[in-house]
Amino acid sequence: MLAFAPLAGWSAETTNVAPAGAVTAPSTGEHALSPKAGKVGGSGFITNSMVVTWIVALLLIIFARIATKNIQLVPSGVQNFAEWVVESLYDFLADIIGPKLVKQSFWFFATIFIFIVSTNWFGLLPGVGTVGWGENTPHGFEVTRPLLRGGNADLNMTSAMSLIFMVLWLFWALRSNGIIGFALHLFGPKGESSGVIKYLMILVFFAVGFLELLSIAFRPISLSFRLYGNIFAGENLLEAMSNTIQHPAWAKAVASVVLPIPFYFLEVLVGLVQAFVFMLLTAVFTALIMPHEEEHEKGHH
Amino acid sequence: MLMPMLAEINGSIAVGLAALGSAIGVALVGMKASEAVGRNPGAFGKVITLAVLGMALSEAIVFYAIYLAH
Repeated sequence: MLAFAPLAGWSAETTNVAPAGAVTAPSTGEHALSPKAGKVGGSGFITNSMVVTWIVALLLIIFARIATKNIQLVPSGVQNFAEWVVESLYDFLADIIGPKLVKQSFWFFATIFIFIVSTNWFGLLPGVGTVGWGENTPHGFEVTRPLLRGGNADLNMTSAMSLIFMVLWLFWALRSNGIIGFALHLFGPKGESSGVIKYLMILVFFAVGFLELLSIAFRPISLSFRLYGNIFAGENLLEAMSNTIQHPAWAKAVASVVLPIPFYFLEVLVGLVQAFVFMLLTAVFTALIMPHEEEHEKGHH
Repeated sequence: MLMPMLAEINGSIAVGLAALGSAIGVALVGMKASEAVGRNPGAFGKVITLAVLGMALSEAIVFYAIYLAH
């Protein structure tokens, strides 16, 4: 539980105080996106990135409904696309974590991947992050509180996903191993040794178990910060590229559109890769805690 | 003489060192991945999966420094 306290502290920090150094007033009057999500509407707790996740979830549900409206045996159109996505993910994960585990937990990994990819790409649409409330500065009207904001550029969102994964991980581990088996998995000796060495190894593995607990406790932090850092830094990069050329007004207008174009491609790729990495890491963490079974020959599949 | 010179360095040394390590790590993964595909072009799919995974894990360290260091 030690790891969760600092994580909760960081979540609170992003809603109350901007982390020092993340938002510094740029010297040339450019405006950096705030790391905290701005509030929307009259309510006290709805933030703009929260609204984006709702919109993305709604779009995904609508997509799923359209794809499954008239299910044919031989798919075509939207159903074909949906089946391609789900089947590729299923085969890929079965290859990595084994067929038994993928049956139990595919729903989580596939949802994580599809949701993170859609949220990341939604944040790249024109208007997300650039349309909203702001103030008039000498450099023209600047938006300080966008109406919509990339969902994963908010540490609350990524921490929420990581914490849900850790709860599920614990549940799957306990269900597959039992409590004794779980403790033995972490602290018990592995491999075979005999005589005095055996007792020495028991001691060594017991100590190593604490190291392993520490590394497991760090996982939600690393998962959430990896996704948050990539997406938030990407948003900042796009904004910085848009604001690079300031002085001749015509050059400013042209460059703010043309300069970010290669970085948009980069952000499309990064959005896909980060969703893929999140899914892969959660899958591998789950597979690692499962009880060891005898290795079958890989040629069977 | 040395101290005033060191005091002139501003900016975050934590982020600088982390970025250095992170960049070298990513480049090492890329180097070994290209080598592996050169030796065995048929294994491109598996190699690129491992390579992307390794690069993302290695690149994440710099984000810890940027957002977690004081």
